[in-house]
Amino acid sequence: MKMKAATAVLVGLLMTFSLLAACSNSQESLSQTNAQTDNPSTGSGTANPSGIGAAAGDTGQGALADNAKETPRNETLYINGLQWGAPTNFNLLSGNPAFPINYGNSRELIYETLFMINMIDGKLEPLLGSSYTWTDDKTLKIELNKYAKWSDGQPFTSDDVVYTYKLGQKYEINWTSYWDYIQDVVADGPHAVTITLKPDNPNKLTVTESIELIPMLPKHIWEEIEKKAGNDLAAIRKEFNADPVGTGPYKIYFYNDQKITLIRDDNYWGQSLFGKLPAPKYITHVIYKDNAAGDLAFKNGQVDVSQQFTPQVWKMWESGAPVKTYLKDAPYYLPGSMPSIFFNLSKKGLDNADVRKAIAMAIDYKKISQLAMSGYSADMKPSLTLDTPAESKFVDQDAIRPLQWTTDVKAANELLDSIGAKKGKDGIRVLNGQRLGPYDIECPYGWSDWNAALEIVAQSAKAIGIEIRTKFPEAPVWNNDLQTGKFDIIMNTPAGSVTPANPWSRARTIMYSKGVAPIGEMAFWNWGRYKNDRADEIIDQIPTATDEEAKALYTELTKIWLQDVPSIPLMYRPWVFYTVNESVWKGFPVDGDGSNIPPQIAMDGAGIKALYKITN
Amino acid sequence: MTHSVRILLKSPKFLIGAIATLLMLALVVIYPLVNKSDPFEMKALAFQPPGSGLPLGSDNFGRDLFLELVYGIRTSVAVGLIAGLCATAIGLIIGLASGYVGGWIDNVLTAVTNMFIVIPSFIILILVSVSVNSRSSLVVALIIGLTSWPWTARAVRAQTVSLRNRDHVNLAKISGHSTPRIIAFEILPYIASYVVMAFILQVASGILAEASISMLGLGPYNTISLGIMMNWALVFEAPVSGAWWAFIPAAFAIAVITFSLYMMNTGMDEIFNPKIRS
Repeated sequence: MKMKAATAVLVGLLMTFSLLAACSNSQESLSQTNAQTDNPSTGSGTANPSGIGAAAGDTGQGALADNAKETPRNETLYINGLQWGAPTNFNLLSGNPAFPINYGNSRELIYETLFMINMIDGKLEPLLGSSYTWTDDKTLKIELNKYAKWSDGQPFTSDDVVYTYKLGQKYEINWTSYWDYIQDVVADGPHAVTITLKPDNPNKLTVTESIELIPMLPKHIWEEIEKKAGNDLAAIRKEFNADPVGTGPYKIYFYNDQKITLIRDDNYWGQSLFGKLPAPKYITHVIYKDNAAGDLAFKNGQVDVSQQFTPQVWKMWESGAPVKTYLKDAPYYLPGSMPSIFFNLSKKGLDNADVRKAIAMAIDYKKISQLAMSGYSADMKPSLTLDTPAESKFVDQDAIRPLQWTTDVKAANELLDSIGAKKGKDGIRVLNGQRLGPYDIECPYGWSDWNAALEIVAQSAKAIGIEIRTKFPEAPVWNNDLQTGKFDIIMNTPAGSVTPANPWSRARTIMYSKGVAPIGEMAFWNWGRYKNDRADEIIDQIPTATDEEAKALYTELTKIWLQDVPSIPLMYRPWVFYTVNESVWKGFPVDGDGSNIPPQIAMDGAGIKALYKITN
Repeated sequence: MTHSVRILLKSPKFLIGAIATLLMLALVVIYPLVNKSDPFEMKALAFQPPGSGLPLGSDNFGRDLFLELVYGIRTSVAVGLIAGLCATAIGLIIGLASGYVGGWIDNVLTAVTNMFIVIPSFIILILVSVSVNSRSSLVVALIIGLTSWPWTARAVRAQTVSLRNRDHVNLAKISGHSTPRIIAFEILPYIASYVVMAFILQVASGILAEASISMLGLGPYNTISLGIMMNWALVFEAPVSGAWWAFIPAAFAIAVITFSLYMMNTGMDEIFNPKIRS
């Protein structure tokens, strides 16, 4: 009895100390942070505390030092935030390959794309492809770079492009969906490719997206792998691909469950394109246990480029660390997506557009930006487009302005009064016999900025007499609820990346009802099951419309969206975070340096040009 | 009874524990009457240091941490009490039944108890918390209570077995008293002091268990408890921001509550256990 008592008191004190210790900036504090989430488990008394604690300690920094393949600090660029577990494989077709093969980010390191997207101006810059032209509305002609080579010395040709595209036709993989719009891809001599679109569904926008997103695979290697696997995708997925052959400037050098290191390919063909080799000889992605551990390492200069959400990033340079973000002042990062809440339109109460609009008007967006995003989100101007020069030009801003909502609790209350939703005794309104709440609002646990945003939404709704309760399950549960429609209100990002297909792709994700399964079955967009025939029609028309027509269509669509409120954007979020620590590498691109190099983690799309700019 | 209380009051350990607990409870009851603000109200910027208007600063949501702390202690103590009551009641019933009745009932109940002792209760706690869909503080309290009774059951059984063959129990049996009556009047008074002490310990470990499970992010939704406060501080990287006020007071409050409860327990142990009493 006494022993138990003593242990428990000790554990209580230990919890205090472990949290205290995390405050210091020393190297040891990292492993302390790692251990601290496990520490409280010792509190239950009857559980065996030492077993859990010890296991947590092993994941700390200590084990890292024993690694054989240490690389010189001044030749290595350290990054974090793109890989969170031990690497699974380096096989692009496997579904979940590790950094730097993961689809759609860090995409120019090993497997390159034909063109590089630049998020500043939305333009595509040449890489493996030197130019592309639409010869007519259904034909895209791409010229390839004649000097491009695979890292094993083989030349990169149009056969590889055709082969890679057609893998998507043959198997169910990341770029299979483009074949909904593509009729055929044919080689036009060794250095040119022609893509023809389906006459009944000629979506130029998504096909343009494909040339900056699909990573090129070497035909001579993957044909062998296919043959070995008997053309069976399940067998191809098992291929580990430990030493991937790509056209990119780096090769895999070393990996274990704590880091992945790449080494520069000094024979890289791109020297002819960029004029030189990228500066870092090695690139190491350190795999941290959680955000806090990664942030601490970054602050201490153990990481150079961080793709993590860092709360109150300005505190870092205020305390003297040589840390920079792309923009010098708030919002510090370029906006790239709009995490939004989606309403289940079959729920009583939420099926009323005025109720949804009242919620939209009650939400304190400033507070969300301040508290959830550390101020990284600019003023909310609700629209289907981001408030950036690249996207806002698609919509007639003056035409939608009268419909855009701003935070106005008084007006929201008046709106609810006007539709006859009276407050009950408990302060919650009742509309046509239906109490407005409790509604659950859902997002995964641990996505701290989202968790905070939803807490604020719940608070805001209280002020207008609508009861909203937060619910933070584990990510797989949330994902299932999202797709099957088992939610009242749910948070997700519609079409979150910067591509030539946006804002069309975002509008489709929010509003397009064709092909959306009913509630109970899986839907991959329009999770709230919104349905508006005119909206469907517009979304069908936009991809083939001229610029002029498209603007009118986007404007009309945005008006429908602003009236019906199927979703509410809560914040502007950077597409990727890009925070750099210049204690080892200097000269990272920032806003206003005239380089036009986008803040894409220094290794994704046109962002990779940063690697040619930095110096020791 | 009055004699026991008088001895108790002479024990400095018990006094310290009792006074600390009472002070804490008084604060929790009185402060919300003085400051009627909503503890969920986000009134300041994130992680404002302690200063005028915010005695303990603000948390990541810009909420008043002192107000949160008061409500947090309230929830945590309530969860601890419910869990403690639940665990003690189950432990007592199982312990008495298996100890007094004996036979195959004893075998079965002892086997069940042993099983629960062998399986780490914290793991069960985590698994149940993950799978339960609606987690209110009452549900969390019940889960904790349902997983932490075995030690009480075992100790009560041991004491009951040793009491079962005492003369006064046999006398009651011969006099034809019913089994429940014998348990209530001949056995229970002799283990009452132990049960009270066990209850206090269960409350303390209930509070710790709630804090642990909440800190892992598996705590109750839509409420404030000490563990949840620490969890938010962790998730929002308060240590990285140097915002010690976001977690030290909560951790300290947990330490003070459990410490004072353990002091009470130790004080009582010294009084009721003649071997220790000096």
